[in-house]
Amino acid sequence: MIDEICLNEAVLAGAKEIFETMIFVNLEKSSEQDDIIEGDSLLGSITFKGGLEGCFAICCSVPCAKTIALNMLAMDLSEELSEAEISDAIGEVTNMVMGGIKSRILDAVGNIEVSIPIVTRGQELKNSLGEKASKALVKVKFDNEYIAELSMLYRESSE
Amino acid sequence: MSKSLMIVDDSATMRKIIMRTLQTAGLDISGTEEAGNGNEALEKLNASAVDIMLCDVNMPEMSGPELVTKVRELPSCSNTKIVMVSTESSQELIDDVLAKGANDFITKPFTPEKFQEKLSPFMN
Repeated sequence: MIDEICLNEAVLAGAKEIFETMIFVNLEKSSEQDDIIEGDSLLGSITFKGGLEGCFAICCSVPCAKTIALNMLAMDLSEELSEAEISDAIGEVTNMVMGGIKSRILDAVGNIEVSIPIVTRGQELKNSLGEKASKALVKVKFDNEYIAELSMLYRESSE
Repeated sequence: MSKSLMIVDDSATMRKIIMRTLQTAGLDISGTEEAGNGNEALEKLNASAVDIMLCDVNMPEMSGPELVTKVRELPSCSNTKIVMVSTESSQELIDDVLAKGANDFITKPFTPEKFQEKLSPFMN
């Protein structure tokens, strides 16, 4: 069974790769307790099964999600995007980061099948997997302003 | 000689990113079609075949590998080059889609240079 430290490293490395190459921002790990996500937020989540089963999610505020979407689309930060466009971008980021994590843990856990991402909007959103789940949680920051929480809930496969 | 191309991906964001990356890569593309799922792609390909199809793997309704199989059954698309574009990168998956008739595989995240490297062989 892969341990939490390895998964934390895989989550951070996978996220850094995607944020740097597809969103064009440098991601820093945040350990400050003050860095909390307030107000309306978006939660992009994706489930996986196989050698390891669980759910990976990215949660960030709506302004943070909009900045991510605008950067991905190489648009000016003053331009407008619809809610659907922002949600689609967050779903795609979740999918790509999960792909990066998967490639980093493949040797340790074997192949895993990944679902289609879904995106939810609300307040104080949390990723949940019920009993006997372990959790890897990484908080990241970019542009000295935006915070995103990356969480991976997992347990050994029941298959 | 310029080539016609289709991007099949359920994410509109990703289709726009691919389009922009193709432009940055400076590839000679004459026209670009888009499809948000496999059925839409088949409908458009039945109406008019393209030279190159860029196809996501993990899509609702019809997966990328399923779409590849169906495209290979279309006589009009026998010369269409199919390049998968996906976050999935296991050798098992790559072998599977190549066996089904895909011509190459690009892993996300990608760069314009990667598109140039993978698509240039199909531009002649």
